[in-house]
This record gives sequence, structure tokens and C-alpha cells, in this order.
Amino acid sequence: MGIKGLNALILENAPKAIRTGEFKTFFGRKVAVFNPSSMCLYQFLIAVRQQDGQQLTNEQGDTTSHLMGFFYRTIRMVNAGIKPCYVFDGKPPVMKGGELEKRLKRREEAEKQATDLKETGTAEELQKFERRTVRATREHNEDAKKLLKLMGIPYVEAPCEAEAQCAALAKAGKVYAAASEDMDTLCYEPPYLLRYLTASEARKLPVNEIDYKRVMEDMELDIDMFVDLCILLGCDYCETIRGIGPVTAYKLIKEHKSIEKVIEAIEANPKSKYKVPENWPFAEARQLFLHPEVLDSDKVELKWSEPDVEGLVDYMVKQNGFSEQRIRDGAEKLKKGLKGSTQGRLDGFFSVMKQSNTNTPAGKKRAGDSKADKGKKKKGKK
Amino acid sequence: MLEGKFDEASLLKKVIDAMKDSVKLCNFNCTENGISVQAIDDSRVLLISLLIEAGSFEDYRCDRNIVLGLEMESLNKIIKNGNASDMLTLVAEDSPDALNLIFEDKRRDRIAEYSLKLMDIDQDFLKIEDMKFDAVVNMPSAEFAKICRDMKTLSESLQIIITKDSVKFNSEGDFGSGSVVIKSFTDLEKTEESVRITLEKPINLTFGAKYLNDIIKSTPLASQVTIKLCDKQPALFEYQLPSGYLRFYLAPKFEDEE
Repeated sequence: MGIKGLNALILENAPKAIRTGEFKTFFGRKVAVFNPSSMCLYQFLIAVRQQDGQQLTNEQGDTTSHLMGFFYRTIRMVNAGIKPCYVFDGKPPVMKGGELEKRLKRREEAEKQATDLKETGTAEELQKFERRTVRATREHNEDAKKLLKLMGIPYVEAPCEAEAQCAALAKAGKVYAAASEDMDTLCYEPPYLLRYLTASEARKLPVNEIDYKRVMEDMELDIDMFVDLCILLGCDYCETIRGIGPVTAYKLIKEHKSIEKVIEAIEANPKSKYKVPENWPFAEARQLFLHPEVLDSDKVELKWSEPDVEGLVDYMVKQNGFSEQRIRDGAEKLKKGLKGSTQGRLDGFFSVMKQSNTNTPAGKKRAGDSKADKGKKKKGKK
Repeated sequence: MLEGKFDEASLLKKVIDAMKDSVKLCNFNCTENGISVQAIDDSRVLLISLLIEAGSFEDYRCDRNIVLGLEMESLNKIIKNGNASDMLTLVAEDSPDALNLIFEDKRRDRIAEYSLKLMDIDQDFLKIEDMKFDAVVNMPSAEFAKICRDMKTLSESLQIIITKDSVKFNSEGDFGSGSVVIKSFTDLEKTEESVRITLEKPINLTFGAKYLNDIIKSTPLASQVTIKLCDKQPALFEYQLPSGYLRFYLAPKFEDEE
């Protein structure tokens, strides 16, 4: 579920690697959307509800909230000229077992509490717990895939972790960026990571574009160190050293370069207050990050095609009870967005160089004193 | 110290007016040769390259290279306050906090002075290699502006097709289509009305009408526009200044490879 404190750490140490942009500036980009059962589907299942907190269901009583969310969010992207391709999680890596177990437990607890509350609690409390009991099942995933197929949106089934596959697709140039809310996607070295791309429109969050290379440069890390840092911060695969927070972890990695050396240093110092977990499987976790199991990107074919309007109507309207007009309107938008030409971008033609003003003598001077000035100037501006 | 005096504020007014809708923040690089800007829009489709050479100024001096980070909207607000015929002087210190703009009315004794706070702008700089172009069109800028505006009413895309001696602007929309063809034409009396087409290879490119409509805001700057095109490459639209230029590089649209 991401890496604790990594975002803050990047913001602090490599602020220039994060560029925020409006949703619409990403048009013309192909984007691999990390969309395993655990993320988007959850979001939709949680967010799209009727007023009484019940999920949207069809006549048979099957949940359809996810279809609704999926349909509209995809259309929103296509409408903005973004070509999404969804990546679904495969089997979880063995090491994730512990984390998954914890989540299951939490859910079971919530379910129990929800039943208890049905008797005694207020509606609000009940809703809170019911949301926690949400679970994306295999059927939900299958529904989503079926819907995507009808919409003409490609998807990829990752052999293992979907984030790794997203990053691999971006690395191979099949797509421009990996879109995920999880910071640990950065460990798989995608050229760009987009956050909040799939966030709902109502929240009006600007999309964050994180430049992987810039992060490495500005934080003065290489990929090995970065992965080790992430493990220290806390990933899904193994526990961390107690008492080491983001700031300390960054300092330690910069000083010692690797977890092995960090451990050596801790053990060599009897006064150290840190305790390294026994049988700590950090090396295995590292392997998962550095050599994830992914499909060969060259063999993955991404094709955006015309939506199957009648198929959509049949599936969404007849089987799942959505309004026909809405579905047809949506399909029309899809058609419009996916057909025709894509706007090219200049960065595909011209090479991007570092800032222009650092190579002039005045620029250098400025860069030196600008730090002191910066706050003042910006403040003066506002 | 930068001190640049324009005989008329109108030049800078037009330049800023042409740029302000495409880019929000710009670094103005001032050197002894003049002032230059490179800026790219947020979606990285349109790049603006501006050069105001020292020759465009009545008086110009810049002892050390200075970078002025300016917010276009604020700059435009200030510039609008001056009259087009005013004498305009730009003044900045060696490591400035602000850019001073002084408008002097030539007839009356009236001096208006403004100061604009500078910004620290972190901007990517794109390296533009010497590009080879297959076709070059020189045409009246007003004519080009009209075509872009007219075609935009039909579609979001404008197709430019160049064969031997004619340029065809084509637009296909939902409710209909339209096209304008112009041919080489020399007007000896009014040279600015001439159309000149130089062609090495035929061209067929499509551009976003929205961007073209931003570009044609430069029309008041020059009577002619030069359009340079090359297959599958960004196009160059150039407006000449008295001494210098305002150039736009625009990435074309592509048909999908699939």
C-alpha cells in the first residue's frame, strides 16, 4: 500500500522532480493505469453509493458501483485525450502474504463491528464500517475487464504486481507514464509516475507528475539505494527497523549506501537504540523491487479500438440496469476521444536541457543568492 | 544593469499580447545583444522563442547577463497601462528583485513608472537543433489569421497540404468541411501581399486549431508570416520584428500508428 513518508521525503529533498499539472495537460499521452483489485475498484466500490450508503446494485442484487465508476472515469480520461490502458494485478508475491493477511483481518473485524452496529449504532457509524468491509472480488475484476473490452480500452494482466508491469510498460516506451497512487511504483523505475490521475474530478486535485530521473539526481541516490530506502521506510513486503523514520532512513542510506552497511553500522554501535528484526528478509524484498516478474513489454500489444456500443448497451443497460441514454452518451464520447489523430508533443522532437539560466554567469550568481531571496520574493508576490 | 528604451511601447505591447495566452511564466534573458525568451506551454505542444535584438531599441545597454523571471499576466497588466505611442524604458539592476518599466509621454510631460516583482522560474529548456524544412511558405499574416479562424469554426484540427505551387488549408468537422487554397502570387506594388512557396517535398500535416489560434495573436507584429514545415516534424511559424523575431514551434498531430 505504498511507502510511508516517501512522498514527503521527495517533496523535501527533490521538490523539482514533482511537477503538478492540470488533468487536461496530459492529453495525447498513453498512460498505464495501475488498477488492481485493491485500488481503483476499491475506490469506486467505496465512493459510488446511493444516499443511504447502500451500494448500487442491479436487479439480481449484484453490486454495480464499480462498473459505474469505471465507466465514467475512463470516459473522463479519454475525453481529455488521454489514452489509458489498465493493468490488473496477478498473483500476489509470496512475501506480500503477511500484509494481505493483516488487511483481511482488519476487514473481518470491520465486518463484525458492522453487524454489531446494525443493532445499536447510528447510521453514520454503520456507514463507516460498511465501507471498510468492501472487498473487490474476482468477479468485480472480471466485470471490469468485460466492460473495458466493450469500451475498446486495452488492459494487461500482470503476472504478478501490477505496478511493476505499469512501470515496465512505461520504461519500454509503450506508454508515457505509469499512473498509480502508490509511491512504491517508483521503485520499478518508470520514467514518470502520475499521481491523482484517477482521483475523482470533484476533488479537483492537480495531477502530480514525478520525474524518476530527477528524483534520483536531486536526492543523490541510485536505484539500489532508493529501493533500500523504500524498504527502510516500510513497504508491503517486510517490516522495518523500529524507530527509523523517513528522515533517519534517508540519512542512513546516504551515509552507508545499502541496508547491509546500515545493519553493520547499527550492530557495530552497541549504544545504538535501533534493533534490526531477526531473519529480516530485506534482500528478498529488494529482489522483488529490482527484478519484478513482468510480461515482456514488447510482446504486449496495446490497441485502442472503437467501443462496441450495442454490446455496452446490452451489458450495462439490460444486464446491470443503467440508464440507456447515459451509456449511449458515454459511448459517443469514447468514440470521439479515441478516433482521429493524437496531438504530438515537442519534447518528442527536441531534447530537454537543464534550466537555461544556470549556464550564464549571472545565472550562477543568481542561483547562489536566489535561495535566500526565494522565500522573500514569492511572499512578496502573493 | 539593464537599460532598454523603446521608441514606442507598442512593440512590447504586441509581443506580450501575442505570448500571454500561451505561456504564464517566462524567463527573459538579457544579454548585451538583446533580450531573448524561450517558453513552452504547459502541455508541451507549443514553444515560443522570442528575440528582441538591441537594434529594436532606441537605446540599449546590458552590462551583465540578467535573467528576469516574469509572470506574463502581471506584465501584461502593467504594459496595458501605457499608451502605444509612449516611450518605454525597461530598467533592471544586476541582480534584480524587480523590473522597472517607465512610460514617457512624448507630447506632454508625463512619466509613469511601474515596478514588477520578479519570480524564480524553474523551466525546462528545449534544445532546438538546426532543423531542415521541406517547405517554406511566406504569406500575409492577416490572411493566415483569417484562414485559421475560419477553419476553426469547423473542426479542432487544421490540415495543411502543400503541393507544387499551392497551399491548401483543409478542415473536416462533424457537420461539414471546408478548405482554402492559396497560390503563389507576387504583388510588386504591395510586397507584403505576396505569397511565396518554396517546396522540396510535398507536405501533408495536421495541427491543432486551438494552438494556431494562439499563434495568430502575433498578427499585428508583422505583415508577413513565414511558415516552415517538414514531414512529421514540428512546424515553425515566424513573425519578424524590426530587429529580431517571434517564433512558434508547434508539434503536429499524428494519425495513430495502430
